[in-house]
Amino acid sequence: MLLFFAILATSSAYAQRQISGTVTDGVTGEPLIGASVLIQGTSTGSITDVDGSFTVEASDGNVLVVSYTGYNPQELTVQSGVSTYNVELEAGLVIDEVVVTGYTAQQKKDLTGAVSTVGTDELLKIPASNPTSQLQGRVSGVTVSGDGRPGQPAKVRIRGFTSLTGANDPLYVVDGVPTQDISTLNPNDIETMTVLKDAGAASIYGSRAANGVIVVTTKSGTRAGVQVNYDMYVGVQDPGPGPDNLLNTQQYADLQWLVYQNDGTDEVHPIYGPSPAAGGASPNLPPWAANTNWWDVATRDALIMNHDLSLSGGNENAKFYAGLNYFNQEGIVIENFLKRYSARLNSEFTIANGRIKLGENFTVTGRTGNGVAGIGTEDSPITELTRAQPIIPAIVTQEIEGVSRTFVPGEFGGTGISPRLGNSGNVLADRTRDADDRGNDIRALGSAYIDVKLIEGLSFRSTFGGTYQSGYNTNWTNATYESAENIATPSYNENSYVNSDWVWTNTLTFDRDFGAHSILAVGGYEAVKYGISRSVSATRAGYFSDAFNFRTVSNGATIQAANSGFGTPTSLVSYFLRADYSFNDTYYLSGTIRRDGSSRFGPDVRYGTFPSISAGLRVSEFIGVSDFLSDLKLRGGYGTMGNQLPVSPSNQFSLFGGGTGDSFYDLGGTGTSSLQGFRPTRIGNVDTQWETQITTNIGFDAALFNSALQVSFDWYNKKSQDLLVVVPLPGVYGAAAAPSLNIGDMRNSGIDLQLDYRTRITNDLSFNATFTFTTYENEILKYAENIDFFDSTPPSTRIGAFTRNQVGRSLGEFFGYNVTGLFQSQSEVDGAPIQDGAEPGFFRYENIDGDDAITPDDRTFIGNPNPDFTYGLNLGFDFKGFDLSAFFTGSQGNDIFNYNRWWIDFWPSFQGQKSTDLLNNSWTPERTDAMTPKASNKSNFSTNTQSVSYYIEDGSFFRLRTLQLGYSLPANVIGNVGFSRARVYLQGTNLFTLTDYSGLDPDLNTGADTAFGVDLGNYPLVKQFLVGINLGF
Amino acid sequence: MRQFNIKIIFLCLALVAMNSCKEEFLEITPRGALDAQVLATADGVNSLLISSYSMLDGTASNGFGWESANSNWVYGSIRGMVANKGTDSGDQPDINPLQTFTEAATNPYLDIKWRSCYEGIARCNEALRVLAVAEENGTVSADEADSFRRQARTLRGFYHLEAWRIYGQIPYVDENTDLTAVTNQDDARGPIIADLEAGTTLPNDMGQVGRFNGTVAKFLVAKAEMQMNQNWSKAAGLLQDVIDNGTKPDGSEIGLDALYGQVFNAANRNGLEAIYTVQYSVNDGSGGWNAGWGEVLNFPYKSGASPGGCCGFFQPSFDYVNSFRTENGLPLLDNSYNDDPVKNDQGLTPDDAFTPDEGPLDPRLDWSVGRRGIPYLDWGPHTGSDWVRDQSYAGPYSPKKQVYEQSQEGSFTEVGNWTSGYTANGYRLIRYADAVLLLAECQIESNQLDAARQNINLIRARAANPDGFVKDETGKDAANYQIAEYPAGGFPFDSQDNARTALQMERKLELGMEGHRYFDLQRWEKAGAIDAVDELNRILEHERPLLPALYGPASVEPVDLLFPVPQRQIDLMEGRLQQNR
Repeated sequence: MLLFFAILATSSAYAQRQISGTVTDGVTGEPLIGASVLIQGTSTGSITDVDGSFTVEASDGNVLVVSYTGYNPQELTVQSGVSTYNVELEAGLVIDEVVVTGYTAQQKKDLTGAVSTVGTDELLKIPASNPTSQLQGRVSGVTVSGDGRPGQPAKVRIRGFTSLTGANDPLYVVDGVPTQDISTLNPNDIETMTVLKDAGAASIYGSRAANGVIVVTTKSGTRAGVQVNYDMYVGVQDPGPGPDNLLNTQQYADLQWLVYQNDGTDEVHPIYGPSPAAGGASPNLPPWAANTNWWDVATRDALIMNHDLSLSGGNENAKFYAGLNYFNQEGIVIENFLKRYSARLNSEFTIANGRIKLGENFTVTGRTGNGVAGIGTEDSPITELTRAQPIIPAIVTQEIEGVSRTFVPGEFGGTGISPRLGNSGNVLADRTRDADDRGNDIRALGSAYIDVKLIEGLSFRSTFGGTYQSGYNTNWTNATYESAENIATPSYNENSYVNSDWVWTNTLTFDRDFGAHSILAVGGYEAVKYGISRSVSATRAGYFSDAFNFRTVSNGATIQAANSGFGTPTSLVSYFLRADYSFNDTYYLSGTIRRDGSSRFGPDVRYGTFPSISAGLRVSEFIGVSDFLSDLKLRGGYGTMGNQLPVSPSNQFSLFGGGTGDSFYDLGGTGTSSLQGFRPTRIGNVDTQWETQITTNIGFDAALFNSALQVSFDWYNKKSQDLLVVVPLPGVYGAAAAPSLNIGDMRNSGIDLQLDYRTRITNDLSFNATFTFTTYENEILKYAENIDFFDSTPPSTRIGAFTRNQVGRSLGEFFGYNVTGLFQSQSEVDGAPIQDGAEPGFFRYENIDGDDAITPDDRTFIGNPNPDFTYGLNLGFDFKGFDLSAFFTGSQGNDIFNYNRWWIDFWPSFQGQKSTDLLNNSWTPERTDAMTPKASNKSNFSTNTQSVSYYIEDGSFFRLRTLQLGYSLPANVIGNVGFSRARVYLQGTNLFTLTDYSGLDPDLNTGADTAFGVDLGNYPLVKQFLVGINLGF
Repeated sequence: MRQFNIKIIFLCLALVAMNSCKEEFLEITPRGALDAQVLATADGVNSLLISSYSMLDGTASNGFGWESANSNWVYGSIRGMVANKGTDSGDQPDINPLQTFTEAATNPYLDIKWRSCYEGIARCNEALRVLAVAEENGTVSADEADSFRRQARTLRGFYHLEAWRIYGQIPYVDENTDLTAVTNQDDARGPIIADLEAGTTLPNDMGQVGRFNGTVAKFLVAKAEMQMNQNWSKAAGLLQDVIDNGTKPDGSEIGLDALYGQVFNAANRNGLEAIYTVQYSVNDGSGGWNAGWGEVLNFPYKSGASPGGCCGFFQPSFDYVNSFRTENGLPLLDNSYNDDPVKNDQGLTPDDAFTPDEGPLDPRLDWSVGRRGIPYLDWGPHTGSDWVRDQSYAGPYSPKKQVYEQSQEGSFTEVGNWTSGYTANGYRLIRYADAVLLLAECQIESNQLDAARQNINLIRARAANPDGFVKDETGKDAANYQIAEYPAGGFPFDSQDNARTALQMERKLELGMEGHRYFDLQRWEKAGAIDAVDELNRILEHERPLLPALYGPASVEPVDLLFPVPQRQIDLMEGRLQQNR
């Protein structure tokens, strides 16, 4: 009965009349479009139209709450006899924003956990197809590194590293759908991204929260009629001059002469003629010698273009947002591109007198592109660019009698022209032949929900969502004729895959104020299944014709591979409860608990419980508010989160299997077929369980100087324990995959700081600045019983591993011999500890253990890729219709292992391109202060076969990420032609980078977390110049 | 209104209840894999056995590349100084210290080789474990079980023997070994021999040429007894049995091929000479992994005009080539061959005039080594420095024995890969000539010098067949081939020491580049038949001035007669492994 009355009360109405008015910016007087005018305590209200006007049915004594994103809300009471209210809103405090957190939304001022948000305006400043790239420098506590590949997701790390395995990607929750991949989202559809950093905020996501959670909310319609927006930009990416430290053809020949001199070699060089010892005074260049700048050959000014059309609107009972996007980015490497098409429809319908909401958020994205393979390996086209000798013509211009064939004009040149040209490919040839390769995919991501208000303050919500992705790739490998190592027969691969996941969430939310007491509680149940996948791939070789139209797998003469994959999915069952209590907006207490069960673990250990507690205190209520301090809130939280990403879904099982290449054998001696065999492929462990992370977070939010400056500060300490480690088994166990065991421990601590400053300098000129500052300090506390380190090898290296992850140090530190200098004389060599290959001009290594020889025991830590801090600084000016913003990002104190130097600073590192340092600044008896070792054909322990400190460089950088100048046409001008908004802008991206790093780009995205900060032919971010238009109707 | 509310609440409860508490929702079995129970049948055990055989080449796509090739081009031939790494200085630099006797225990090649041997052993043990289950279940017949068990044990013995001769001190691991406690301090030789002997009662005709049969097992026991125990008499009996009664695993005849060059032809890989050939298969969908992955680097480097296409590794040494010098058809057993070196084109470009050596040479040279001016199978004459990657670094010679003929491109080679060097030319793990020479060695050690001489002469007589000489385009001998048999009674079969020298030379000439030399030197060192350290240093001193960048200041010490136990394995086994030096 009581219940009935409560419901009745809320749905009853007293005498109502029409109230109207306008909502404007308190300073500029410009109308605010889409501001909400709500009758307090109800869902009744209105939205301002293009003139900022609203009308609403209200009764005397009702309180109208007028709010608009980015402005302080205002309340006013309807007074009898007054029907028109003109409201001026003040640009507001950041802390008054509503923030979508785990399963609920809260006002930022009420938060007790560590949460940061970034809105659509900031995100869109970076022209990229991928929202992850746009996070860089925008949010404190988040370290983002990207590269220049079109469409390539950036690497996002929240507060350092959680797992020793490198499975440190955050969980993204897009409109309630958990996923690891948001690369298909159209950035323009995103309303906000909210980063949940500590247990207080994130442990509601339990076993998937340990790496942090990024909640993505897409745009929804407004209830203010129909609004149409069109946004576009178009621009060009400038590859720039490329590496500035490579030799030209004559210099390369001169370097060969220097090597001869240094080594005393007596031979007739197949290209340059007799060496000095054999009587050759100087190298002779052959008539076919070119002077190719491979960077110029293989890069181009590349187009980038984006069009967004969105349509939004609604009325009291329905609202919708529809977006269409076309994005096309060419890579600076020729033929490389990505095109993306996406469509979104978000809608919500309110029925049953506002008691039931039905809605959906759905997006589908199609992508097609031509990728560059091998980034992060030595087959990277970027590496190839710096490996090919300049003497090789990209295109042959005169007949050349080559090693294996006669090259005629118009053909590709290559290493097959002559011996001693090395084994690099011709990038122009490779990219041209790969031009028709395509990667295609379609991905749908969406959710549908029903939200039912049961009683006042209590609502039930059920959400079903998921993703579905299907891809199709084609990959042609042409036969080659120009190289020293040719591919004799063309081959062709096609592969396809589907993967999907789904989530079903049911929650009850209780949100009610009792006087000064506020309670927000949400409890729920969730079932998830992810990693449902199938794939198929086939390759044949031997094609009668290279023609594109002939390329089907069926047309190949010989089957090379016919494979398929069947993914083992993971299911999760979860229960969770969260309660936030606040008193008088002064005292806050929040607790969450989640219990998860996962199919990845054995029956006895598959459930984990992840609780957290956090509290806040608005100190400003006690010390008083002044012009200096308008708000101060202390926050603190403690709790646990889990991580199950690093463990294989098959971890608990001992399995047999094996493919053709690892366990088949031709018992019958046919020579062309093998019989099926099986081998042990996995050793299972049923006791493996979650990784657990225990987080302590202490922070404060403050508003200073009349709220002009807002400060948000957090200190955190994350202890990761029971970390999953695949302890490498000794060889005697065989090569079956070892299980993950819970044995490692790691700690991260650091601070996140964000400052927001806005001021109005004159009536026409306003200024805002945002500064984010992120540090983390990572320490491995335990690896495995009796093992205190593991080495990590990057995807391709000719000198073994150079990363050692060791207890007591940070993840990813570089390990090797410390170069103390170069040996200057034979007597110095003789007097030094025995070092294999030592001779004057070669590296002298530090003798760490003090014995009489340089041995593996003398290796030490030679660099650390973890930055001391990363930061972002955004400066914005508004002057009348003009706006100017500059966004800087940077990283300080991180080292880079510049593996590219291995190729170009050592003569025997294959016969490819070499550096000007090796010619001009390398050791000779006269150049004794050189850093680069003697140019010599000797490859040994003292030259180029070891991981040594020579490769380490300071990777700190400070970059002007974007500079944007915009002009908004005045409302009175555009209003006449029907526009509500019209803005044009010019933008430059990556205009300058201050760094001592000698490579192309210090911002590196490649490599697992256990071996990061290594430059293996990174695809650089380059300058971009854009012009853009924003139109609203 | 009230009813409406109740409906809603019911609906919500129903939604929640619908998928609560489904424990089976969390039971997900792995996709695309098998468990042990499914395999516990005759066919299942056979499939595990097949994977055990598949490690005989030392390579597999689950982590074992050319570093662990059982053809032992690195550990047997390069370390034995028959060849050097070849190519250029910076390519596969981990081989550099192995060829200069300066390797650290951290060298990745050593770790991969170790793991490859034990992966073979682990597969055998898994086959034996599942076999036991199948026997319990009654899903395998007693005869089948017996055959499977003997094959698995012989294979296990083979993999252990391989590890033993490389590392000296190894853990012996069978299907009952506690892997958390095993060490390398126990003598592994006994169980290795016992495993190998398990196969000696296998029939000779196993129905398939790729299985181990009784002959193979007997040979392996003999080889192990010679290598590990210097038990010449036992080995001699077994080898005589192999020669007299042996067959290939498919039951067909064994013997010496009539022509020496024929032995290495891919088409003849399972020919008369092959007691056991590791079966390579091409274009079988493995992407080259079942082909000659282990030897894929070891082809000349003249783009398009030489076989393979990559990578210029494994270049024969000067000393090895010079050993083919003959005088009155016989080799120069006092090593004076280096005083009259075989003429080569070191330092010359292909355009410079060059006439090949005109002195007397053993004809086997030109089946073993590619050199300027001599026909390289059907690929035309070797044209010199354009066939090698960096002549000043690694010398003028190219490998030849495993190379396929031009006419075999595409049929005996993998197509559509980055190189055609993945071939079906299976490694001749046991060839008849090896058995004959091992028998001769046993005879010399037991002082039956004339019997040894006759056996060695069998080998030399075959090599002396003029139909088997390399011919030029006009059909004439490509060089001045002179080879004769050893006369009865006189030098070198006048004393045991001289006979040993002759045997040692004969193995070098007959079996060079086939992965044996270093292990031969190990064995002879133990038998007191040679000072292996001196021998290696002698060659080193000869090669060093010719290839200064390659050898540097290296020298050979007694510890270099084994490879160190991989440091990685010592670390992982937490002190249970002892370093062998």
